[in-house]
Amino acid sequence: MKSFLNSVIFTLFILGFFVFVCMYVTGLSGGGGGDSATGINPEAGEKIYWGDGQCHTCHSIGTSGSATRGPNQEGLAVRAEERAKEAGLASGLEYLVESIVNPSAYVVEGYDNIMPKVYDAPIMLGREQILAVLTYLQTLGGESNIEAVAKFAEKIPEASGDAAAPWVPPVDVDIKEGELVFFDESRGVTCSKCHVLNGKGSKVGPDLTGIGAVQTPQYLIESVLKPSAVIVKGFETMYLMTTDGMAYNGLLVSQNEEEVVIMVDEDGVMTEYVFYPDEIAQMQKQDVSIMPGNFMDMLTIKEFYGVIAFLLSQK
Amino acid sequence: MNSKKLNLKIAFTLFLAIFLVALAVTVNTGMAQKNAEEVITAEVAGDAEGTTGEAVEEESVPYVEDEYRNFFGIDGRLVVWIISQLHLMFAAFVLAVPLFVVIIEAIGARTNQIKFDNLAREFTKLLSTAFATTAALGGLLAFALYGLYPGFMRYMTGVFHPYMFVYALCFFGEVFFLYAYYYSWDLLKTGTGKWVHIFLGVMLNLFGTALMMLANSWATFMMAPAGIDMKTGAVLDRTAAFCNFLWMPVNIHRIIANVAFGGFVVGAYAAVKFMGAKTEEDKAHYDWMGYIGNFIGLAAFIPLPFAGYYLGREIYSASPVMGNIMMGGAFSWTFIVQAILIGMLFVGGNYYLWNGMGRIKGAERYTPYIKYINIVIFFCFAVWLTPHNLPLSGEERALIGEQYHPFSKFFGVMAAKNAVVNLLILATFFSFLLYRRANKGETMPFKSHGNGARITMIITVGLTVMYLLWYSAGLKGQDLNETIKPFINPLLTCIKIQIGALIAALILTFANRGKLAQTLLFVVTVSISVIYFWYYGFVVMEKANMILRFLSVTQVSIVISTLIVNTVIDVFLFKNAKEVGGIQWGKIPHRAQYALLLLCVAIVTLMGLMGFIRSGLRMNWHIYGFMQDKSAGAFTPSIAYMGWVVSLIVFLFLALVAVVFWLATLGDKTKKHA
Repeated sequence: MKSFLNSVIFTLFILGFFVFVCMYVTGLSGGGGGDSATGINPEAGEKIYWGDGQCHTCHSIGTSGSATRGPNQEGLAVRAEERAKEAGLASGLEYLVESIVNPSAYVVEGYDNIMPKVYDAPIMLGREQILAVLTYLQTLGGESNIEAVAKFAEKIPEASGDAAAPWVPPVDVDIKEGELVFFDESRGVTCSKCHVLNGKGSKVGPDLTGIGAVQTPQYLIESVLKPSAVIVKGFETMYLMTTDGMAYNGLLVSQNEEEVVIMVDEDGVMTEYVFYPDEIAQMQKQDVSIMPGNFMDMLTIKEFYGVIAFLLSQK
Repeated sequence: MNSKKLNLKIAFTLFLAIFLVALAVTVNTGMAQKNAEEVITAEVAGDAEGTTGEAVEEESVPYVEDEYRNFFGIDGRLVVWIISQLHLMFAAFVLAVPLFVVIIEAIGARTNQIKFDNLAREFTKLLSTAFATTAALGGLLAFALYGLYPGFMRYMTGVFHPYMFVYALCFFGEVFFLYAYYYSWDLLKTGTGKWVHIFLGVMLNLFGTALMMLANSWATFMMAPAGIDMKTGAVLDRTAAFCNFLWMPVNIHRIIANVAFGGFVVGAYAAVKFMGAKTEEDKAHYDWMGYIGNFIGLAAFIPLPFAGYYLGREIYSASPVMGNIMMGGAFSWTFIVQAILIGMLFVGGNYYLWNGMGRIKGAERYTPYIKYINIVIFFCFAVWLTPHNLPLSGEERALIGEQYHPFSKFFGVMAAKNAVVNLLILATFFSFLLYRRANKGETMPFKSHGNGARITMIITVGLTVMYLLWYSAGLKGQDLNETIKPFINPLLTCIKIQIGALIAALILTFANRGKLAQTLLFVVTVSISVIYFWYYGFVVMEKANMILRFLSVTQVSIVISTLIVNTVIDVFLFKNAKEVGGIQWGKIPHRAQYALLLLCVAIVTLMGLMGFIRSGLRMNWHIYGFMQDKSAGAFTPSIAYMGWVVSLIVFLFLALVAVVFWLATLGDKTKKHA
């Protein structure tokens, strides 16, 4: 009995130590609570940045924070202006808005394309909260301009936790059949010839891994039927005319001072062309997608909706 | 005298029961009164309506489906937290013990040593009583979930109802094989019957593991939902929902963790019995049982951090947001607490081994090394504990000149922690090798073990080399930015060096230089995985952060290959070696038994903590990204609050285990008295 009681006392001692450590760590980490932030202003934005927005888990600012997954945001306002010029945007603020609304649009070199859409689940920041964060980001190397930020309110999607009506395809479809069509290389139309999905396929067009988690059925249907309606940033078609009068339409693979690389569709085969600056007479972005727009002729209704249902299942 | 003891035990049991009920009623933190208030509001509104119109009195109030309820004023989440964790702990024990019981029994059957058979039977006896408690807690958990979270459980049932029937069938299977296994021990104790009995044990394990995997899929679906429409919740693919992204990583992690858990719990049981033993025979028996428990616990615990890495990486892959919450957000500080508990386990495990060497003649040859291992372990522990962001005051920051301490910041980052956890594992493994050879003298030449030994060595080295080659091929094939890709090359070079070391170790072992082969592997692995990768971790953190994930897997792969090959070399090195002295079972100091208790309490607490982290990562979501938790309790509690709740759970679990084990031994006493 004595040994048992000793064991109980020893156990309680260890548990007491555990509780002490937990309380001590709570003190170190600043506790669990915090003031809620309201309004569109840098103070509220700062609280959201380090709190609900979870921005700090990827971006540190100067020596504050330790995250290295995303770029350090020190002097962001200045850099945003420079990048806006490079991207042909009107202002640094527009660059920041674009980067939040569509995180894949401008991925800084050396970093993964991992930033989530903060207005979507699971972060689900409200429009006002995102505007507040923008005002805070403006203060990193610049001054905040709340009026200018507020003008972008319409560009920022509103977070919604409400369940939408379920999408039901107009015909009975089989997701497995949709998957087969997506990867079937034996037919003229093969999605995986241009799109990667879960590591399979070619990277000509946008990677569709997890597309079902971020896009609506309507968006997917429109993207297949009218590929030029919305072109994902970085996948615009480039028109290039050489000094000897040859014209090329294709995807811009890379561009630097020494060369421009364009990928051109030649009868279903994607071929890379390299041009040196002295060979280029004209170069212009086009509003037309490289993706063919005649899928309704090449797929049956059932196959078409099967592919859409398959893509929607890719969370 | 005996009746007095029995009375004392009954009184203690009653006290415990009253204490538990009192705790359950009084632990109301004041949270989640919302529903209670709503009920009151509804009642008040009902009263008001009643006074204004008689027609209302005649009509029955339409049935409204509640989304949340609480338990007599206690927050529903707290109730579910406590019950589910208790159920998980008992389930871990019940699932783990049969795994090693069958192995122990098979060893006994193969070597004709009755002591192994007796030990397996003694463990099974604990198992049979613990099983009923697990089932009762499982039922209680189901009632609590359906009663307190009806809306959420309605949806979960809608998604998983076919699997719930399978779960019930597996449960019947487990019950059948458990009791068949336990009650047929005497009937099937000899000849072919023994192997039939072992087969029953294997079937018990199969059903138990299937049960665990079924339940795991529900929990992991909540973290990484799949097969459903994330906006509407429509079930698109039930199989995908079941085989969701985190299912297998959690399965692997849980199986290994359960074995460590079971080993340390039976080790603590043996420790308490040892301290209360009156005869030398009993002391020797429980000392041996404690050693086996510790051996099982440590053997499973050593690979556990690797399974943890894998799970963590997959959580990050499933949802970078969740991954960030875990390692860089709200839960990052809980990993400091985790580090302390894991440090306790490593220190406790090593301390027990060193104490155990005291009962082995010949072990004194190795005792001088222990102080160095001690230094290494405490150094690793200290690095592991160092947080990256030490909270500094303004004055301190001004004095240092930057946010981070110029020296300690290098110990706080992942590169340092990865390095020391591997060193910690290697040091503990080294400790275990010393223990194994404590009473061994002159070894036999390798060739005396025959072709079987040669083939085993070749297969072992071959498999580890093949794994490393396969992994390096995967590394080469990574689709990375051209500026980052060159940072992979040092990893590939290190893998090549390790492969060379493994082949050299094989040749040395064949040439009767097994000890040199083991030393070579240790030196190469520590040089690469600890020293070089520690440095290189900083390089990639600054220049190519995304390489860090490949670096940690490379580190782990190299360490695992060394652990496996060195273990096999050790087995043959000391097979039939001359014994310097015997092991004097029972001649171990009481303080070693407290080390076993420490291991048990630490692993149970660790399981409680990790349960909180795994579940809490969903933040305010029942099903991450789809179904929000809109109850009043949908916030992340502070670490201090978690500490109190987990301590309560651990205390309740250990108290219940004590009662259950005591009940299990009552039958023996009756037999003795008879």
